[in-house]
Amino acid sequence: VRCQHYPPLRALQASAALRRASDEHKKEPLTSSSQQHFDSPPAGHQPEQEPQGPRPSYTGQGGQESEDYESEEQLQHRILTAALEFVPEHGWTAEAIAEGAKTLGLSVAAAGMFHSDGSELILHFLSECNTKLSELLEKEQKLVQLGKAEKKPIDEFLRHAVEARLRMLIPYIEKWPQALSVLLLPRNIPSSLNLLTSMIDDIWHYAGDQSTDFNWYTRRAVLTGIYNTTELVMMQDSSPDFEDTWRFLKNRVADAMTMSNTASQVQSTGEAVVQGLMGAAVTVSNAETSRAVR
Amino acid sequence: VYQVFESVAKKYDVMNDSMTLGIHRVWKDILMHKMNPSPGTLLLDVAGGTGDIAFRFINYVRSVREHQLQRKLKHHQNLSWQEIFESYQKDKFNSLGDSQVVVCDINREMLKVGKQKAQYLGYSEGLSWVLGNAEELPFDNAKFDVYTIAFGIRNVTRIDLALQEAYRVLKPGGRFLCLEFSHVSNPLLSRLYDLYSFQVIPVLGEVIAGDWKSYQYLVESIRRFPPQEELKAMIEDAGFFKVDYENLNFGIVAIHSGFKL
Repeated sequence: VRCQHYPPLRALQASAALRRASDEHKKEPLTSSSQQHFDSPPAGHQPEQEPQGPRPSYTGQGGQESEDYESEEQLQHRILTAALEFVPEHGWTAEAIAEGAKTLGLSVAAAGMFHSDGSELILHFLSECNTKLSELLEKEQKLVQLGKAEKKPIDEFLRHAVEARLRMLIPYIEKWPQALSVLLLPRNIPSSLNLLTSMIDDIWHYAGDQSTDFNWYTRRAVLTGIYNTTELVMMQDSSPDFEDTWRFLKNRVADAMTMSNTASQVQSTGEAVVQGLMGAAVTVSNAETSRAVR
Repeated sequence: VYQVFESVAKKYDVMNDSMTLGIHRVWKDILMHKMNPSPGTLLLDVAGGTGDIAFRFINYVRSVREHQLQRKLKHHQNLSWQEIFESYQKDKFNSLGDSQVVVCDINREMLKVGKQKAQYLGYSEGLSWVLGNAEELPFDNAKFDVYTIAFGIRNVTRIDLALQEAYRVLKPGGRFLCLEFSHVSNPLLSRLYDLYSFQVIPVLGEVIAGDWKSYQYLVESIRRFPPQEELKAMIEDAGFFKVDYENLNFGIVAIHSGFKL
């Protein structure tokens, strides 16, 4: 009779032990607040993995079990976050993920958990950026509510949000065109589109219900167009601190504001989006060819 | 099991080619691609007697390393020719990037054939040959980045012990890869496959290797081997995470993969 239980409920023995070891490193040796018992010696780098048999049992730890427990997903997130540091050097590749795994004390073979084209790494980065943006906008909204800051007019708010979000790309900007082309792979389009639209939704949510001339779809489409085109301009921008890009952004947002007053607004939005996509395809392919030539 | 392989050792490669019509090379290449090893990886190839996986590993790592070096050189555009030459020389001595493969087999004859092949094909560095039993490996804990067993695990008497040993010698984050004959689910193909296995293969065995019995044993051991899902469960029992399998050729062969996390 084989016991069919679902694996994720088991704590990840190896990674948990590794984190315990590194945590122990940071704690003072004399502290008695830690109620966890270890057989491994406090000093030294990686304690030998004592095989506790096929089923790791933490029953002796009692209430501390929840601290040790880490799901596969959480571990994968940690590896990807660690891998981001190596992206400027290795690009969005399995190599960067392998280096990231190494810094966590894992074997380079752990990179085999992910796709070899780095898709998961890029998507992880995108969702991290979106989370950071949400937190930033949330914080600013609180300040406005507390009366500590002025509420921005809509165009300034949009400019500020898009700029903040695009600035997160700056450390990786050399390899970002590569990331964009990977995101265009059919396999990745659902996820990347999802992340994009939720980011746009977020921005509009925090912008509040100010503009009444736009309907909901138009708002989304317009801001998506602005964001995508600005992102592409940023790829080609070599001005100091990307001032050309921010100027471009300012103009696009201004256009959008005036567009709302014309009757042809919906039609031109559609045109803008199509032009944006065409421009996207051309720019990305140019970027790829120039990168290949280089 | 030992005696089967003693008689089979010398003709092993020839038989492989004729039995699988040469596709076994493709299967092993796919396994290597799935592994995608980066330079600096330590591989343990168990039951890898004649070295097929080991040689492929070395080739793969060498070409990855070359690409790495090319990329590095491209970045150093403004160095003088002398500097470029020197850095290239330095890196050339490390063409494997510290990668290493240990081939472990229970059968001395198979290892001998493997060593001869290595010499003949010109593989010198990064290879070690060790005599050992998959159920009780002569290695310390947490030594290897990747553990492979290609067409060997069905010959192990206690598969669970072999899996536990695999878990033990892998580093945290290490990967377990198993390439093995498995269960064909497609009924039509299954019948054809059975026909081929029971009628053709022992005959080939007699003609090429002069040994009907061993190949009869081979085909029967394939049938007795647990199917994909069951093997997956066994691997999970040994403590591996993210266990998955990929069917090749509709299940004639399957690659199982697991991570020690």
